[in-house]
Amino acid sequence: MSVRHACVACSRALEALGTGLTMLRSGGLREPVYATGPKSQDLEELQFTLGEGPGVDALEAGGPVLTADLAGGPAERRWPAFAPAAAQCGAEAIYAIPVAAGAVRLGVLNVYRTHKGLPSGAELSDALIFADAVMVLAIDGRGGVATGLEELIEVSFAERRAHVHQAAGMVAAQLQLNITDALARLRAHAYLLDRRLGEVATDVVRRRLRFGADGDGGAARGPPPARGR
Amino acid sequence: MGDIAASDRYVREVFVELTDTLVDEFDIIDFLDRLAARCVELLGVSACGLLLVDHHGTLNLIAASSERARLLELFELQSSEGPCLDAYRTGLPISCAELTEAGERWPRFAPTAYTAGFTRVDALPMRLRDEVIGALNLFSVAAEPVHPDVLELGQTLANAATIGILHQRAVQRRDVVTVQLQGALNGRILIEQAKGFLAERQNISVEEAFALLRDHARAHDGKLLDVARAVVDGTLTIGASGARRRSP
Repeated sequence: MSVRHACVACSRALEALGTGLTMLRSGGLREPVYATGPKSQDLEELQFTLGEGPGVDALEAGGPVLTADLAGGPAERRWPAFAPAAAQCGAEAIYAIPVAAGAVRLGVLNVYRTHKGLPSGAELSDALIFADAVMVLAIDGRGGVATGLEELIEVSFAERRAHVHQAAGMVAAQLQLNITDALARLRAHAYLLDRRLGEVATDVVRRRLRFGADGDGGAARGPPPARGR
Repeated sequence: MGDIAASDRYVREVFVELTDTLVDEFDIIDFLDRLAARCVELLGVSACGLLLVDHHGTLNLIAASSERARLLELFELQSSEGPCLDAYRTGLPISCAELTEAGERWPRFAPTAYTAGFTRVDALPMRLRDEVIGALNLFSVAAEPVHPDVLELGQTLANAATIGILHQRAVQRRDVVTVQLQGALNGRILIEQAKGFLAERQNISVEEAFALLRDHARAHDGKLLDVARAVVDGTLTIGASGARRRSP
């Protein structure tokens, strides 16, 4: 399972012209990393080069930006350079879904369609679910974790558990990492020890497991700190 | 609940306070946090939580009257079983006056809730027309039955929560509802991350960390989410003593 598979599957589920994934790099720089086909690749490049578009807005807003009609007045006013150029590429509607969870902001998934209109309820849910999957796959990729399909489904749900996010915050403070890298460390640790992310997160939150700042040394079991949980 | 006049006045004050928050700088999580606290006071219950459905169809906690771990676990359990799930699926209020007898109904949730010290649970659907977006969950330790007026008031508060999240009474586009719910839940994730970060930094519990975040936001007239983001970014440090430093 890879990010590419998720993008292709998303494209199919939404009957899209194509789907592109742009990642957010450190310093706020955006980088198109994958597109399912030449048209979506062109559209991704357009947003990148012009510095405007629904994907750009979605990244800033932190929420989905759904455009039903690229040829319409509002879209042309909002993206005067991108909208007509995108229409020329054959895109009539675009759904930009951030690949993010709280402070974990990895990028944006852009679904390009040849027909006007908003996504149906099911299509929007699907797009959000695929964005979740891309997030897990991208984070795992960082940590050298090979995500299986079954695990992907389970983890997509587990990622939504409060203690997983708390644990990511704790590890970020322990290792002086950003939340994204902290989450990747947690995933990698769980994978190495063949444990569930949720269980590892519980251990972290209950102060049974600390990540020591000793380079790549990994987790160290230590006594709980002086004050309780 | 005291004499009628006093409680009516109190209810009115609460609604004025709540509607005061529905302005431009609307902080949805702070609004729901206040509402959860008000539910406990007004309804005479021990604990309250608000759960919203996400795009996976899973119920997630968005705000609670207390951030104690045991209570939060009770909310988390209900993504797969329990009164909130039933209320969400049916769109109807669900009540159980005796949790010790609900073992068959909710084999995991009931014993966990009872062990946590609760005897009664109510779940009120958060709905807008046909759309049920989540549930308002009430826990009680008291053994006596709840007056129907109390549940009616509870439903009114649940409706207030729904309107606060969806911003308007009019029927919404489906996609707008989904996006708003997703935004609210995403905000909660940020708060959980900040709780963990701050708990580690200050060597306190995640529950104490939440109180620090919330108190700081209120004291400085800021949004809880902005404070959470700044803490996680490292641009804001909140000490247990309340002192704060901003690093460049």
